[in-house]
Amino acid sequence: MADPANNKNGGAAGGNEAPERPKPAGYFEGETMTRRAAFAVAGQAFGGVAAAGVLLPVVGFAVAPIFDRPEERWEAVGPVDAFSDDTYRQAVITLRDGIGEAGKTTVYIRRGNPSRFEGESADEFIAISTRCAHLGCPVRFVEAAGSFICPCHGGVYDFEGKVLGGPPVRPLDRFQTRVRDGQVEVGPRYSVTNSLKPVRSRDPGEFTGGIWEYLYPPRPSTPPAP
Amino acid sequence: MDSAAKEAYLREYEVLKKKGKPFFPYAVFKDSVMFMIVVGVIAFMSLMLGAEQGPKADPTTTTYVPRPEWYFFFLFELLRVLKPPELVPVATIGLPTVAMVLLLLLPFYDRNPERHPLRRPVATTAGIMTIIAMAFLTYLGASAGSPTEIELDVAPQYEAGKQVAAQSGCLACHQFGHNGNDGPGPELTHIGSELPAAAIERTLRNPPGIMPSFENLPPEKFNDLVEFLSSLR
Amino acid sequence: MPNLVPKALRKPGKPGEGNGALSPEKLKEAPVDLVGWVDERTGASPFLTGLLFRKVPKGTNWYYTLGSATLFAFLVQAITGVFLAMFYVPSPVEAYGSITHITNDVFLGEFVRGMHKWGATTMIILIFLHMARTFFFGAYKYPRELNWVIGVVLIILTLVMGLTGYLLPFDQRSYWATIVAMNITATGPILGPYLADFLRAGAEFEATTLSRFYALHMMLVPGLIIALIGAHLYLVVKLGTTAPPWVRAESKPKSLREEKV
Repeated sequence: MADPANNKNGGAAGGNEAPERPKPAGYFEGETMTRRAAFAVAGQAFGGVAAAGVLLPVVGFAVAPIFDRPEERWEAVGPVDAFSDDTYRQAVITLRDGIGEAGKTTVYIRRGNPSRFEGESADEFIAISTRCAHLGCPVRFVEAAGSFICPCHGGVYDFEGKVLGGPPVRPLDRFQTRVRDGQVEVGPRYSVTNSLKPVRSRDPGEFTGGIWEYLYPPRPSTPPAP
Repeated sequence: MDSAAKEAYLREYEVLKKKGKPFFPYAVFKDSVMFMIVVGVIAFMSLMLGAEQGPKADPTTTTYVPRPEWYFFFLFELLRVLKPPELVPVATIGLPTVAMVLLLLLPFYDRNPERHPLRRPVATTAGIMTIIAMAFLTYLGASAGSPTEIELDVAPQYEAGKQVAAQSGCLACHQFGHNGNDGPGPELTHIGSELPAAAIERTLRNPPGIMPSFENLPPEKFNDLVEFLSSLR
Repeated sequence: MPNLVPKALRKPGKPGEGNGALSPEKLKEAPVDLVGWVDERTGASPFLTGLLFRKVPKGTNWYYTLGSATLFAFLVQAITGVFLAMFYVPSPVEAYGSITHITNDVFLGEFVRGMHKWGATTMIILIFLHMARTFFFGAYKYPRELNWVIGVVLIILTLVMGLTGYLLPFDQRSYWATIVAMNITATGPILGPYLADFLRAGAEFEATTLSRFYALHMMLVPGLIIALIGAHLYLVVKLGTTAPPWVRAESKPKSLREEKV
């Protein structure tokens, strides 16, 4: 190149007049291309390893709760006789311990009613979640209308929790129930399809059944369907 | 934009820049006036309106009516307007994502070298329409009533019936003025002029289709409800 | 022994003293000397003079202050935010109480919290006005395309700040708005459910959800915003601000006219 210092080397070595190959930026006398390549690769590799050494554990640390399934909780909500089969009774249960009010939720509970609804039995209990299946606002059971009403975007559900109108994508979620020592106990949450078939718990706004079971895959943080 | 247009722009910009004034103090002066205004407005709002604190977060509530901060009202209203469940992912994820991508890639599909807003009719119109649409959605979202409130003006003797209608979930399926859902049931704003009181009472006792019966209301409340509905003309 | 303290930083002698004493003229020069001392060691002055005395194009008007105004609103947010963090407790049990304490008990607490709250509103209005100005003036076109892209990312991050900051007061409004926002992310097919789990740190509102939002609101998102503002400003200085599209360099029409004559 134009730099006489560079030319001197080439001239002294063999005296051949072949045009020199252009040198890369930062070239210095005596440098070989393999040496340059080795340092470039090694420099990037060391930097990459160091960055990965910091980032991987941190990202893993932040992502870990996705794979963490808390222990199942069962909570007694009242004696068997307290629930009738033609209306709901409210109960507050705890979903997560140790965070006070923030870990609680309200459920609507009634006894199964085989004369009105096929597939229910008189000794089972139905616990309906107050989390709207549209985007999770708190639904309210309106006694006079016999339906659940969401205050946010206008979702309406019938007595069984099936969608009557508005944008909700599936019926209201339910909680598993059982009877122990004459007390009704409420367990983990699960979702249902439009025909009330139980499936693994989903977040609101996610369809259930058919192809949607694959488009909204099950999460490791929720227990399997009953 | 081809290289000739690029060069022409750069040349013209160079001339304009040479004719300009130095950043300091002329532009800095304007900026610092703006700084004063911004801080002044924020401090004034803070002094006048303060920072109110609502009731403590309560996940067990069944009566609270959630509403977002005003700058998310357009999204909120979008979720209310797109009613069919099949469109929920479109409203939540689809449209906002498309809008963001369109905004992000604007310089790459708008390749018209013209810059004057009046000589870019398509871009300017699209921009103004977007602003109007967002302002309109924001307005609708801001004025969305609670599902347990009817804001119609009625004579005092019908107030009790209005309360019953509002608290019984009628708004979930019917519209009263601008309160309530547009469907599945018919609008009830003028139901009194369409149906006689007896027919309203019969419908409430033995409703058609998916509508639940309101026979179980206490008789007094039931009568109030019928009177209120037949007063809507 | 030679004096190692740089001349500019030496303690001035008493007036009237002979050796090393500062005459009034020297005193006047002292600050200049300090600047010179720093400049000698940083070489910053060509950069700074270039930055300060670069020309802004002819026709630059008040619309061009919207970008700086957004930056000022962000500064207000950053400063008030740091001081709010001194009193705020990001735990689901204590968060609400700590906000009540800030609002009612801390000296000027309601004022500072109000500044942060209304600063958010102001910043969002200003950033959208700034974008509207850029759009209608065609300022996103060559050679400033990349700066537009950075700006759009900044708008998205600003809205993310609005959303994550929203949960922190932990009142009804903030709780339910956040629940809805997290469920909105969950409606994305395939990845949505996992993303929502990541934001909540679990399947329900968990013990660490609030601190997760606090960390995002306090460090991660502001860090990204500051870095991107830096890139945005670098490009503004490097490429220059646009002139309003109706201002034309007069050289062209003039030369045309001359040719006609």
